Parts: sequence; C-alpha cells; structure tokens
Amino acid sequence: MRHPKRTGRTSVSRRTVRLATAAMLLVATTLAACGDGGDDGTKAGAPKAPATVPELTKDPLTLSFIWFDWPPAKALEDFANAEYRKERPNATIKVNTVPNANWHDAMFTQFAARKTDFDIAILDSQHIGEAVTNGNILDLTDFVKKNIEVDAYNPYLLAAYGQFPQAETGKRDENASLYGLPLLGDTWTMIYRKDLIGDKPPQTWDEMISVAAKCQADNPGVSGLAFHQANGSDAAAVTYNTVNGVYGGNLWDAKSRKIDGVLNDTAGHEAMDVLVNKMKPLTAKGSGNWFIDEVNAAVAQGKACIAFNWIAASGGLLDPKQSTLGTSREQILGKLGFATLPTQKTNLVPLGGMGMHVSAYSPSAQQAEALNFMRWFEQADVQKKWAAAGGVPARTDALQSPEFLNAGPFNQVYADSVPRMRDMWNVPEYARLVDIENTNVNAALNGAKSPKAALDDIAREQQGVLDSSNRKGGGGL
Amino acid sequence: MSELTTDRPGQVASATPPAPGRPRRRLGDRGLAVAFISPALLLLLGMSVFPLLWALYLSFTDYSATRGGPARFVGFGNYTAILTSAQVHQRALTTLIYVVGAVTLQTVLGFAIAYLISRRTHGRGVLTTLFLVPMMLSPVVVGLFWRFMLDAQFGVVNSMLGSLGLGQVEWLTRQRTALVSLIVVDTWQWTPFIMLIALAGLTAVPKYLYEAASIDRASEWFRFRTITLPLVWPLLLIAVLFRAIEAFRLFDLVYILTSGGPGVSTETLSFHVYKVAFLGFNTGTASAYGILMVLVVIVLTQLYLRYLNKLKEG
Repeated sequence: MRHPKRTGRTSVSRRTVRLATAAMLLVATTLAACGDGGDDGTKAGAPKAPATVPELTKDPLTLSFIWFDWPPAKALEDFANAEYRKERPNATIKVNTVPNANWHDAMFTQFAARKTDFDIAILDSQHIGEAVTNGNILDLTDFVKKNIEVDAYNPYLLAAYGQFPQAETGKRDENASLYGLPLLGDTWTMIYRKDLIGDKPPQTWDEMISVAAKCQADNPGVSGLAFHQANGSDAAAVTYNTVNGVYGGNLWDAKSRKIDGVLNDTAGHEAMDVLVNKMKPLTAKGSGNWFIDEVNAAVAQGKACIAFNWIAASGGLLDPKQSTLGTSREQILGKLGFATLPTQKTNLVPLGGMGMHVSAYSPSAQQAEALNFMRWFEQADVQKKWAAAGGVPARTDALQSPEFLNAGPFNQVYADSVPRMRDMWNVPEYARLVDIENTNVNAALNGAKSPKAALDDIAREQQGVLDSSNRKGGGGL
Repeated sequence: MSELTTDRPGQVASATPPAPGRPRRRLGDRGLAVAFISPALLLLLGMSVFPLLWALYLSFTDYSATRGGPARFVGFGNYTAILTSAQVHQRALTTLIYVVGAVTLQTVLGFAIAYLISRRTHGRGVLTTLFLVPMMLSPVVVGLFWRFMLDAQFGVVNSMLGSLGLGQVEWLTRQRTALVSLIVVDTWQWTPFIMLIALAGLTAVPKYLYEAASIDRASEWFRFRTITLPLVWPLLLIAVLFRAIEAFRLFDLVYILTSGGPGVSTETLSFHVYKVAFLGFNTGTASAYGILMVLVVIVLTQLYLRYLNKLKEG
C-alpha cells in the first residue's frame, strides 16, 4: 500500500535529515580546516636540504624573498636581477618587503599556515631558533659542506647567520647544524659631526658622553646624541644590549638558561644607569620613539652631534637630496665621520645583519633554485660585486677587498667591527624576550619606570618565559 | 481542450498524458528559500561560526599555531591565567580609561556639533558632509598622519604651540600624554559618527513641540532639556553603544601611534591579544583571551540594551 505523499510542513524525519546534514557539514568544515593537522604530533624539526643542488627547471621562475622595507632590500633585488640572471636567464628575483615592525609576524604567520609565498626567508639571526624548532626552514648542513667554502668566512659570521643551537660569542661549533647562509652583515656605527667635535672620534664610552654633552651645550638646537629608543621591533633592546656589552654585562647564561641575576647584575645596572641617566638627557625631546629613520633624519638635518645607527641603513646620509649638511657627497663627508663604537670595559658591538633561509613549504623546483642562488651568491667574485653594489658581504676576502672598503665610508668600520660582535639569544622564545626588553627599556627611557625597576622586570619576566615551557595554560602572558 | 501550451514558445504539448514514470519533483517555497539562503548561510558558517567554535575549542588547549604538535587539553587553565594576570588587569584599566574618555568626548562634541548644525537652515548638507570626512578615512592613514603631526621635534602641533610661545610637548612618548593623544585622535575620527546619529534624532523631533513651547514662552534651555534631549537620548545611547564596542577593541591607532608605549602604558586589551597571539604564537591563550573579550562585550551590551528598553517603556 502506498502512503499518500505528505505536503505542507516538512516531516520530522526530513528535518532530522537536514539537521544531520548541517552537522555533517560543520564537521566536514572542521576536518577540512584541520586538514593540515596531519603533521600534528610529528614535530620533526627542520627538514634536510639535499647536499647537491637538484636539477633546475628551464621554465620561467620567480624566486621570492621576504625582508623588511629598507634600502638593502631594493639593492638586493636590483643586484640579483642584474647578476644572477646572467647565469639563470629564466629566473626573476622578487624581494617582497613588509614594514620592519611586521617582519617577524609576516614570516611566521605564513610558517604557521605551512604555506609561504616566499622561497627564501631573510631571518634575523635571533629568529633562527624559532624557525628551526618549528621545522619551518631547511637544514643546510650537508649542502654547506658540499657547496660552500666555509674557511673563507670568519667562523663566527658563518655561525651567527646559520647555526643552531646558537654559537658562543666569537666562536663556531663545527659539529652544529647550519640552517642559513649570510646575506648581509651589519653592526652599529658611530656617526659624528667632525665640524662640531673634531676629526678624532671619542675612544671610550665615557668620553663619548662628555664630548656629546659639550657639543650640545656649545650648539643650541643640536642634541648631543641620537639613538634607537622605540618600543617596536628590537630598537630599544639593541640599544640597551650594546651599552650592557660595553660596560661588561651579560644578557644571559646560555648553558643554564639563566637571565635573572645575570642580566641585572652590577654591570647590567650600571649600563642601564648610563643609558637612562647619562645618555638619554643628551637626546632630543620626544625622541623616545625613534628608530632607524628618525635617527638618520636627525643626522641629515644637522640636529645631532653623535648618533648610532646600523651601517646598512646609513647610505642615505650621504645623499645630498636627503641632507642639509651639504650639496655634494664630499661636502657631507667633510662634516660627517663614521667610526667603530667606543669601548669601555669591553669592546663589544652588536651583531646585525641577516641570513638567507630556505622555506620548508616552498615547492621543490623553487627550493632547488633557492639553493642554487645561495651557492652562487656565496662565491668570492659575486660577494665582491655585492659589496660594490652596496651590500655588506660576509666572506673575509670580500670584506678586505677594495670593492667593499671603497664602496662606503662606513665599510671600514664594519670590517674592523667583525671580531668584536655579540648577538642576542636565538632561542625559540626570542620574539617574547625581545618584546619584554623593548617595552621595559622604552619605559625607562621615557620616564615610565625607574632604570632599576625596568632592568629587574626584564630579568624576571624573561626568566619567566624561559621557565614556562611546562606551564599548564596561560602561556604567553 | 485540444492542445496545451508550454513555457517554451512555439512548442506544442501533446494532449496525451505523460507516460507513468518517476514523478518530477518541484522546488517548493521552503526549498526555494533554503536554496537562496544556503550560500549566505554556508559563508556565515565557514567565516564566522566555525572560527568562533574553533577558537572556543582552542581556548581550552595549549595549542600553538607555529609549534604544531598535539593540542593538550588544559581545562580552564588559560581562562584562570588571564583573569588573574596583573598584565591583563593593567591593559583592562588602560582600555577602560580609553573607552570612557574617548566615548564621552565624542558624545559631547558630536551632539554639540549636531545641535548647532540642526539649527542652521543654509549649508547644512555641505557642513554635514565636511564633518563626515574623517570617518571615511582608514584608521591606519589617520594614525600615520597624526603621528607626523604629533611628532615632538618635527610635528605641526608643536610648531604651532611654539609660535604661540608655548613649550614642546612629548605627545606620544610620555605616559599621560600618549593616552590622551590616542583619545584625541580617535575623537577626531569618530565624533562625526555620533554627530550623524544625533543629527538624525534632532531632525526627527516634531516641530510642533517647539512651536507649542514657543507659545508658552519656554526658554531655550527649557526646550532643550524637556524636548530635545529626551527625544534624542535613546538614539544617542545606541550611537554610544556602537562607539563603545568599537573603542573596546581598539588596535590600529595604538599600533601606529604608540606601539603600546611608552613601555606598555597605552597597550589596550586588543593590542595585548595581538602580542600573545603573534609574538609567542600562544594560540590557545590568545583564543581564550579573545573569547573573554567577546563575553565581556556581550554581557555589557545586554545590560545596556535592557536599560534602553526600560527607557523606551518609561
């Protein structure tokens, strides 16, 4: 017997079917969204790159980098497209840039999605730990052994931009794995007004402060000092770390992972006191949020007697279009001098610069091209050409070449600074450690905290981050 | 009946009944409704409901988006850690001061401007349009040009103060002035929103009420207090609700103008969530933080709406 077909309201069974369909849809969406979770639980660290460069494609290919927006990024793109294409005409180099403050986030949010729109990540040396631990970049150890002349480098430079676990200051562990190769070396240079303080730069930190104070007093409208104080990126943190190093302090004890009691020891407190109570009063009013561009602007407009900035960002200072110090490069150089940082209890200087790292999520053809590019880039003649194009190479022969030393008045400063460099921590927790330091140093520089309280807070909070790996809930607070 | 027409012109249907077979199902009204709604519904499910449910799930785990690995269940660990964190309390206080300061200032200014505009007979449209310009700009653009204007050394604001013989003010780098600067910039951008809603309310007040008051020789203040304000008040409160919710989740201006500084003194709750989520990639904690913020907004909005309903009934 056939039942009459029911019309009108939906039957209960059909409603149930629809509800079930909706539920299945939601579950399916959930599963689809979590599709990448297949790798959950299989935390393998960084995958290995092949020892030799695989066969390269003959099809047109774009090799993408990610960096932050500053002059070297443009220089790299121009240089690579002009030179690398002579060897690989089908390859185009694209250097994608983001604002400095977004640099870490832009790379690591893509790493988190396990999909990147870049093939080579230009990581700060301190980002390496996070990227290696999460398996975001390729292990290049075998590739380096087979393709790179490791003896051509200062061992610490090679280690700083590629080694994990982190190299001890000034040394390289030859048994440690390498995850990157140097792209751009960098450190701070002291920029001083020769016309205001004389041709001879101050030799010690204390002398530098007294010279700056005298210059400020003698020249109304010109501040004694200009340096990074902002709480974005690593600005204020690098400033404190530099003074800390010069006054004999330490950032941590890497072996015991101890910060509290090390950073805020007597030397650490002395450094913070010098920075806040002796250096800060010599800076311009409202300079508490200055970073690279603002310091350069102050120098270019003749508003600072002595300034500190990254060498790689100093090229614009010699451009007469951007400066009030002269109408030609020679005139500007008549007023500006560049020197290595003054020493005090030690001669340490901050390690800057970045390395190239291959994204683990890049297609294999792109990874092969990336490895080929790195092999090409690290050759002696290419490194010299990179130096001539405005880059800062890492190979010793390129660093000592006339192409590099004559390319800019600050290049000799870099060459002299290499044996004096010290880096921060390149542990996976780096982003949080540097944020804690940045915000607290910035607070001290702007009167929101006393120097002592700020340093003790940095040490306590950073120690909390390092010790919180087994914490149940609330990580990140 | 010799022939039947079909919906296809020129085609003549056969008069003979169709051969028995599978009956053709037609889409009923309900089916049609479901068909039309389902794309939007799927979009809503995929873009809003699912992420919310997923965030809710993650908020009970220690999951990290970059570290990968299994998401360990931590119960209410994230929630208790957030609710008891001194850092969070500090950001909540900053956010509260900001919301109260910005919304109060915007309401007073917005209503005052709307009241003045409503009294004009000429050029009302032009004035309204001009006042609305800041609201149409992107907050990032607004933040960037205010950052230049408020720069202590090169900014136009200090330059003007200097020409008046006043000293330089460190707008963005001192604890007190930085939060005030944020409130001023937000007020510059969003006062027009309150003004627009208030203007709509003022325009809707029946003219005969004012005429009757004039006949009774009621003063300007009396008319404002007993006619204008009571009639515009409910609409104004809705505008305040919208602005308060917006101000509560402020991120962009803080990011551009102060980066939360000096120190963390202008870090709002949203800015802090961003740091937890993207600096350390503590996705579980950030999810719990976000869920708690949504809950706070929902609860406060409910209380506010109840008050509004009571006001309406009264």
